[in-house]
Amino acid sequence: MADQIVLRHVTKKFTTKTLGDIIAVDDFNLSVHEGECFSFLGPSGCGKSTTLRMIAGFEDLTEGEIELCGKLVSSSKKNLYVPPEDRGLGMVFQAFAVWPHMNVFENVAFPLRIQKVNKTDINRRVAEALHHTSLTGLETTFPSDLSGGQQQRIALARAIVTNPKVMLLDEPLSNLDPKLRETMRFEIKALQRKFNFTIIFVTHDQSEAMAISDRMMVCDMGRIMQIDTPENLYNKPCNRFVHNFLGESTFINVEIREGKAFPKGHPEQALDLMVPADAAHEMVVATRPNEIALKGPDGTGFTTHVEKRIFLTDRTEYLVPVGDQLLKVQTPHRVTFSEGEACSVHFVEPMWYPADDAEAEKERHRRQLV
Amino acid sequence: MKRYDGASAELAAVDGRKRLNMDKVMTAICFVLLLVIVVIPIVMIIYNAFFNEGKLELGTFVDQIKEEKNLSAMWNTLKIAIGATILGTIMGVFYAWLLGRSDIPAKGLMRALFNIPYMFPPFLGAMAWDMMFNGRSGYINKFLRTLLGLKTMPININSVWGIIFVEVSYYFPFVFMQVVSALERMDPTLEESARIAGAKQRQVIWKITLPLVKPAISAGALLILTTSLAHFGVPAILGYARGIYTLPTRIYAVIYNSGGSFDGIRQGAALSVMLVVVVSLALILQNRILSAGSYDIIKGKSMRPTLIKLRGAKIPLLVLAILTLVLIVIVPLVMIVLISFLKAYGLPLAFENFTLDQYKTVFASNGTIDSIKNSLFASITAGIVCMFLGTLVAYVVQKIRPKGKGALEVISMLPYAIPGTVLSIGVILAWSGRILGINLYNTIWIILVAYLARYLSFSMKTSSAALLQVHSSLEEAARVCGASHTESLADITLPLIRPAMVSGFFLIFLPAMREVTTSILLYGPYTRTLGVQIYSLRDAGMIPQAAALATVAIGIIIVLNTIVTKLTKDRKGV
Amino acid sequence: MANVKFDNITVSYGNHTVLKNFSLEVESGKIVCLVGPSGCGKTTLVRALLGLNKPETGSIMVGERCLFDAKKRVNVPAEKRNIGIVFQDYAVWPHMTVLENVCYPLKKQRRPKDEIQKRAMRALEQVHMTEYAKHLPNQLSGGQQQRVAIARALVVDSDVLVMDEPITNLDAKLREEMLLEIRMIQKRLNATILYITHDQQSALQLCDKMAIMEQDGTLCQYGTDEEIILHPANRFTFEFIGVSNFLPVEKGSNGAVLNCGSPIPYDGEIPQEALAGGYEMGVRPNDIVFDASSPILAKVTSRVFLGSEYNYFLTVGDRQIRVQQSMLDARTRGVADEGETVGIRFLNTRFYPAKKGAQTV
Repeated sequence: MADQIVLRHVTKKFTTKTLGDIIAVDDFNLSVHEGECFSFLGPSGCGKSTTLRMIAGFEDLTEGEIELCGKLVSSSKKNLYVPPEDRGLGMVFQAFAVWPHMNVFENVAFPLRIQKVNKTDINRRVAEALHHTSLTGLETTFPSDLSGGQQQRIALARAIVTNPKVMLLDEPLSNLDPKLRETMRFEIKALQRKFNFTIIFVTHDQSEAMAISDRMMVCDMGRIMQIDTPENLYNKPCNRFVHNFLGESTFINVEIREGKAFPKGHPEQALDLMVPADAAHEMVVATRPNEIALKGPDGTGFTTHVEKRIFLTDRTEYLVPVGDQLLKVQTPHRVTFSEGEACSVHFVEPMWYPADDAEAEKERHRRQLV
Repeated sequence: MKRYDGASAELAAVDGRKRLNMDKVMTAICFVLLLVIVVIPIVMIIYNAFFNEGKLELGTFVDQIKEEKNLSAMWNTLKIAIGATILGTIMGVFYAWLLGRSDIPAKGLMRALFNIPYMFPPFLGAMAWDMMFNGRSGYINKFLRTLLGLKTMPININSVWGIIFVEVSYYFPFVFMQVVSALERMDPTLEESARIAGAKQRQVIWKITLPLVKPAISAGALLILTTSLAHFGVPAILGYARGIYTLPTRIYAVIYNSGGSFDGIRQGAALSVMLVVVVSLALILQNRILSAGSYDIIKGKSMRPTLIKLRGAKIPLLVLAILTLVLIVIVPLVMIVLISFLKAYGLPLAFENFTLDQYKTVFASNGTIDSIKNSLFASITAGIVCMFLGTLVAYVVQKIRPKGKGALEVISMLPYAIPGTVLSIGVILAWSGRILGINLYNTIWIILVAYLARYLSFSMKTSSAALLQVHSSLEEAARVCGASHTESLADITLPLIRPAMVSGFFLIFLPAMREVTTSILLYGPYTRTLGVQIYSLRDAGMIPQAAALATVAIGIIIVLNTIVTKLTKDRKGV
Repeated sequence: MANVKFDNITVSYGNHTVLKNFSLEVESGKIVCLVGPSGCGKTTLVRALLGLNKPETGSIMVGERCLFDAKKRVNVPAEKRNIGIVFQDYAVWPHMTVLENVCYPLKKQRRPKDEIQKRAMRALEQVHMTEYAKHLPNQLSGGQQQRVAIARALVVDSDVLVMDEPITNLDAKLREEMLLEIRMIQKRLNATILYITHDQQSALQLCDKMAIMEQDGTLCQYGTDEEIILHPANRFTFEFIGVSNFLPVEKGSNGAVLNCGSPIPYDGEIPQEALAGGYEMGVRPNDIVFDASSPILAKVTSRVFLGSEYNYFLTVGDRQIRVQQSMLDARTRGVADEGETVGIRFLNTRFYPAKKGAQTV
C-alpha cells in the first residue's frame, strides 16, 4: 500500500495573549496508507484539529512539510501552500456546514458546478451520490427542513460527489445523537468500501475512533503518543495517559519487594501477578474494570471484600478495597455479590507503568484552558 | 424551551383571582394610554384627510394627489429613497466584508469610527455639506472654481444627487452593522467547505458568503429605505430653498405657507396619507423579505474565521477606507466647527476672520437657552415616561397575555411605521382644542405628546426582549423560596430588566435631544427645540450662529453618548 | 425531613391528560429517582408538588401536612410549601451574587440578619462554594451555578428537596462529580430528595429507590435499584433500563423452540406460561455467550471493537441479535470472526408477552 498522506516534522506554533507561545503541534511525523481509515484521537487542545486543518490547507505550517498523493502541498521551507480548493480533498465538518440557501441537490452539485462539469453528468453524479447517502427523493428540500443526520448525509454526499482520494472528517458525528452516531459510522465505512478513499477521522471519542479506524494516532499536548491499530492501542497502551484515554481504567499503586507487588497500604498480601524484570521500586498496575474477574474467596487471587455495589444499566460496578485504594470492577448483572461479601480479584495481563507523573498532569490541565 | 410558555400560563392560573385584579388594572392602563397617545392622532389624520365637518369629502385628497408639486415631491421622495438605499447598501456591504472578513489593519478603530454617523443628526451633516458645496456659495465650491478657472460651481449639493449622497453617508451604517454582525456570527466552516469543494476565494464570496448574509443585507437596506422615505432634515436643508421637495418637506411647506390654518393642516393630512401609503408598502415589502429568508448560520464550535489575505490590495483598500471615514465623519465636523468661529458667513476661512462672538451670542440669546432647556425637558420626560409605559406594555404583552394582546402590540408599534411629520399633524389635529377642548398647541406639552407616541415602541421593544430573557423558572424559583407574586416581581423580574429599561431610556433620550422632524411642525414662539432652533437660525441666514449652536449640540451628544456607553458597559448580569 | 405522598393525581393540559390517577409514596430520608422517557409527565408531577400547577383530582401530603387536596379545596401557594427545588437550567438569579442568591429564601422568612448570614455560609460550605460568595453567577461555570442552586435549596430546612434534571446541562465528567456530591449532601443532611431524570444511568448511580414511569404517565415499577435491575416488573422496565434482544418462543414438538423463521430447539429454562404462545424471550447483549457445545447456532454478520467490549451482530434464523463480549471474556475465550458460525447460550433470560408489531434490535 502506498503512502497517501505524509507529514514530515510538521510543527505549528500559536501566540496567545494569555499563555504566550503554544506549540499546538510538535514535530508530527506520520504516513497514512491508501484506502486506510486513520483516526486522530486526543483530548481538546491536543493538536488533532490543527493538524487536520494544516492538511486541508487552512493553516500554514511553522515547520515541516505535507505530501498528498505523492505531491508536496505544504512546505514551510519553500513557502509553498497549495490552496485548499486545489488539493482535491473531501471534507465533512462537525457543524455539517451545509449551505442553508441551497437545496439538497444544489448543495451536492456545487463542487461539480465549480468544476464546470456538464449538466447531464452533474445530474447523474449527484443522483448517484444521493443514492449512496440515502437522500434520494429529497433533492428539492432545504437543509433547514432536515434532521441533523440528514444534514450530515448531505455533507457526505457533497464530499463524495467529486470522487476525492482523501476524505477528511472533522468530528462529523459529535453533533448527532448516540443511536444515529452508530448508524452513520456504518454508513461512512460502507461509503469508504464503495469509493475506496482514504479517511482521516478526527475525534475525541475513543470508542468511536476504535470502531471506525484501521489505525489511529493518540496525541496529547501537541505530541504524538502512540500510533497503532485499535486493538493494540487498547491492549498495550505505551503509557498511563493512553491507557486512561482509551477506556475506563483502574490503577493500583504498588511497591515491589522481593519480586512481588504489594498494593500501597497493605504490606502483607501481594497481588497475584508476575512482576516484570525491569520494574522500579514503585510502579502502577493498570487494568480495566471489566477485565478483572471477581470470584468467591477460594484462596487464589487477591482476597478482599465488596465495599460498594452500584447497578448500572448494562453492568454492575463493585468497589473493592485493595490496600488503601478502591479498585473498580465491572461485571455483567448476572455476577452478583452483595455489599460486604468476601471475594477475590484476578487480573488478566495488566500493564505496568512508572509511578505517577504529577507534572505532566499539571501541564495538560494548563493547556486545556487555552 | 417550549415548556416555559406553558409554564408561565400555568403559574398565572394557579395564582387565581387575587392576581387577576392587578393584572386587569395594568392591562386597562395600557389600553387607555395607547388609545390616547397613539390611536387618536392617527384616526384624526385619516378622518381629516377624507372628511370635512363630519361629511365625506374626497376633494381635498384628490386635489392634493393631482397637484403637480406634490407629484414631483413624491417622485423625488422615491428617487432619493431608492438611490440612497442602493448606494448605502453597496457601501455598507463592502465595508462590512472588509472589516469582517479581510486582514485589513486597525479594525477595532475603524469599526468605532464607522458607527459615528449613526450618532449624529443627518441634518447637521447636511448643513456642513451645504456650507462646502452649496451650488451658489459653497466654500469648497468657490475654492475649486478659482483653482480650476471655471465659470460655474463644479459641484451642486443642492440637488437630488446631493441629498442622496448625504443620506448615504449617514445611513450606510444600518447595513454595515447588520452585515458585520452576521459575518461574525457565521460559521466559518460554511465558507471553508466551499473552498474544499473547489471554489476560489472570489467564488466563495459571491456564491456562499453574500447569499448567506442576504437576510442581514435586506434588513439593513429596508431600514435605509423606510428611514429615507420619512426623512425630513436633509432634504429640508439641501432641497427646500431650491424648490426640491420630498413628501415630508412638502407637508411642512403646505402647513408653513398656510400659516397654520386649518385648511393647510387638512392638505397636510391628505399628503400624509400618501406618505403613509408609500412607507407602509415599504414595510410590507420588508416583512415579506425578512420572513422569507432567515437562515441559521450561527457558529458550531468557536473558531476564528480564516481571514482573507488582501495581499497587494491591502494598502489601497486601507487608504480608501480611511478617506471614506475622513470624508463622511471628519470633514463635516470640521466644517461646522470652522464656520462657527466665523464673523460672518461668506468671509474666507482665514484666521483674522475668526471670533468667539457667535458663541457669546448663542449663549446670550434667550431663545437658544430656552431651546436647550425645552429639548432637555421634552426628551428626558419622554424618555422616562416611555421607559415605564413601554415596560408596562411589554409586561402585559409578554407575561399577562390578556385577550387583545396582539392589538396592544400592533398599536404600540404603529408609530414606528408613521413618519415623524405625519405624526405631528395627527397630534396637532388631536390636541389643538378639537377633542374635549384640550388645546396644547404652542405649548411644550404637544411636543412631549408627539415624542411619547413616536418613541414608545423603542422602549417597548427593549423591555420585551429583556422580559423574554427572564425565564419563568427564575420567578418560579423565587416563589418556591417563599416570595409572593408581587415580591418575585419586585425582587427578580424588575431588577433583571432594569438594564434594558435604562438603555430603553437612552434609546429615546438621545434621538429626542436632536429631533427636528416632529418638532418643526409643533413648535410655538417659546417652545423651540434644539433642532428647531438650529434650523431656524440657519433659515434666517444666521449660519455661523447656527453652526455654533450645532457645535454645542454635537458636544452635548458626544458627552451623553460617552456616558451611555460607560453605563451600559457596567451593567450587571443577565 | 418528611415523606411525600401523591394520591390519585390527575393533571391535564386542555384535552391532553398528562397524569391520570397517579399515586406514589416517597419515603423520608431517601433519594428517590423518578425516571421515564421525556414527556411522560414526571416534570408535571413535581410542578404539582411545588404548587406551580393545579391538579384536577387527588391530594399531595408532605409528612403530616396537606399541601393540596382537590376534594377539601386545599391548595397551599407555592411560596408557603417549604420545598426546595433545583431546576434544570439552575435558575440562579443573575443579578444577585452567590451569597445574595442563597440568602434570599431566608430573607423571605424574615430571619434575623446574623442568622441569615450564618446559615447561608453553611449552605455554601456544604457545596464547597464559600470562596465564590461574592461572585456573580455569570462568572461561574455551569457546575458551580448548579451548586449555588443546590445551596439555595438547602439553606432553608425544606421538608423535601426536588431536583429536576439538575445535571443534564453539564458535561459528562462534571455530571459524574455532581452525582457524587448530591449523594454526599444527602447523607450529611439525611434529606428526602426527589430526583427527576430521563437518564436511567445517572438514576441508578444515585438513587435509593427508583420510580419508573411509562410514556403514558403511569407508574410502572417502584423499587430499589436491585429490584429493578434484577427483577424488572415488566417488559417496559426491562427495555427502558438497558439494551435488549427479543426472540419469540413457542411450544415445539419436542419442548420449547425459538421461532426465528424456522424453529430452533431451546433447552434453557422456560416458564410454562411462556409456552402458551405470543411470548418473547428477552436477553441482554452481554448475557449472550459463545459456547461451542450449544445447539443454538448463529452467524456473525459484523464485529466491531469498541475498546471495553466487542460488539457483534449475529443472525439467528431470520432474526438479528446484538451481542456484547467483554474484554475479559474475549481474552479468556477468544473472539468470533465475521462470517463464522458460532454456538451461543442465553443467560439471565426473561419472558414477556410480545408487543404488537415489535421488532428485535
